[in-house]
Amino acid sequence: MAKTYQQINEKIARGEAVVVTAEEVIDIVKERGLKDAADYVDVVTTATFGPMCSSGAFLNFGHSDPPIRMAEISLNGVAASGGLAAVDTYLGATQPSQDRGIEYGGAHVINDLIAGKEVHLVATSRGTDCYPRKEIDTWVKLEDMNEAYLFNPRNCYQNYNAAINTSSKRIYTYMGILQPNMGNITYSTAGELSPLLNDPLLKTIGMGTRLFFGGAQGYVSWMGTQFNTACERDEKGYPTTSGATLALIGNMKEMNPAYIRGAVYEKYGTSMFVGIGIPIPILNEEMMSFVSVENKDLYTYVFDYSVASGGHPKLKKVSYAELRSGSVDINGKMIKTSPLSSLKVAREIALELNHWIKKGQFFLQEPIQSFPMANALKSLEIKEGEAR
Amino acid sequence: MITKKILLSFPKMATGKPMAMELIKTYNLDFSILKAMIDDNIKGTLLLEIRGKQTDIDAGIVFLRENQIGVKDVQSMVVVDQKKCVSCGACTAVCAVNALEMDENWSLVHHEDKCLECMLCVKACPMRAIHTVM
Repeated sequence: MAKTYQQINEKIARGEAVVVTAEEVIDIVKERGLKDAADYVDVVTTATFGPMCSSGAFLNFGHSDPPIRMAEISLNGVAASGGLAAVDTYLGATQPSQDRGIEYGGAHVINDLIAGKEVHLVATSRGTDCYPRKEIDTWVKLEDMNEAYLFNPRNCYQNYNAAINTSSKRIYTYMGILQPNMGNITYSTAGELSPLLNDPLLKTIGMGTRLFFGGAQGYVSWMGTQFNTACERDEKGYPTTSGATLALIGNMKEMNPAYIRGAVYEKYGTSMFVGIGIPIPILNEEMMSFVSVENKDLYTYVFDYSVASGGHPKLKKVSYAELRSGSVDINGKMIKTSPLSSLKVAREIALELNHWIKKGQFFLQEPIQSFPMANALKSLEIKEGEAR
Repeated sequence: MITKKILLSFPKMATGKPMAMELIKTYNLDFSILKAMIDDNIKGTLLLEIRGKQTDIDAGIVFLRENQIGVKDVQSMVVVDQKKCVSCGACTAVCAVNALEMDENWSLVHHEDKCLECMLCVKACPMRAIHTVM
């Protein structure tokens, strides 16, 4: 029997909703069958905790006296945008610091702020009639700011490449360190627990979906950048390449520093581990079928990251069960496989979201708008000469 | 016959003395040099995996200490800070001997005895949760 968002939320309010994780639901479907399981389970929680570079924070510091229109801004030595109004800024997660480079970047400042630490704010300005101050040097804490929210333009990739290096040199990538001569393979997903792999056609995840975001209740605010729903899919609709992404928004003041962490990729740059959990309402048997997917049925491709131009060459299609097994056969050679996103922490997040829902602290939000399902990726053409 | 790892620190005055030869000749010890370095102050550090009889090892260590050489038992020079580690797995990608590997719950485990001290995991860790004691 089909359920509505309202009916599920009423069960959550009464403390009667049946909530399980996307890993637990696999056995429930095997035991009860699809139809009975769809009647029994109300919400399936999914989660991921991995590096997501396209992340950052909007901050408003409040006005000093006399006031300043901040033009060049830095927080703990990390440059933030001076391209907004007087005391608004956007701090990008991957921005390196002036003194420590990629070892301490925007993501680390964001983590320090969420952890309640004081951060060194330095800003300069030309000075204007209404904003006469030309420089400011002070310490700020999250609780002292007016607003502070993460707005991450691209998080939660539906699926992602696995990476290998066929060259004779070690390479340093955002997919970790890749050893020469196909020495290792890395992959980055929560697989059968991953949010968008459990709703491959985005039937329940759209603009306005409420979710677990860094320990706070956040929202899907838009489609993520490089949103690619026109991607290759299997016969059931699961993407076998990158697929959809989400733009997320959430209040930093309610976040937990354990779930928003600065990260460093050697000779690549700073990134940010973002903890996301998305509840999937089991509205009908179709949704139950989608969430019961297993790693053995989810596929990606191994790409050669030693070739940077013209796209990474595709070496092999592999399932996440194969990648999780510890080695994959490439041209007759068993290659060691390693994850880059933390399944351990993703499981903690799926359980925490599960508890929020069971305790009646978190309710489902039906999307106010669905995302386009035939959105293809564009690339950047290099044009010469004058504007045309 | 036992095998153990020891970290030797040579003060300036001891650097340059043929200690290794003494360990082989006088104390019947066999060893592999895992790491060796001399810093700007001419202070030397040597990480050895030594093999021999317990009594010979003990006597060899006494000999080293009598010559002002610091001797420390070590399992591995690599230390994983569990408070910072998130068990992402990035370090396991570069660990050729699986001294760093994921357990069945996808939690990082560190088998210190297997470590070859290549230190590539230090660079691979995005949380900078791995450091060395050298």
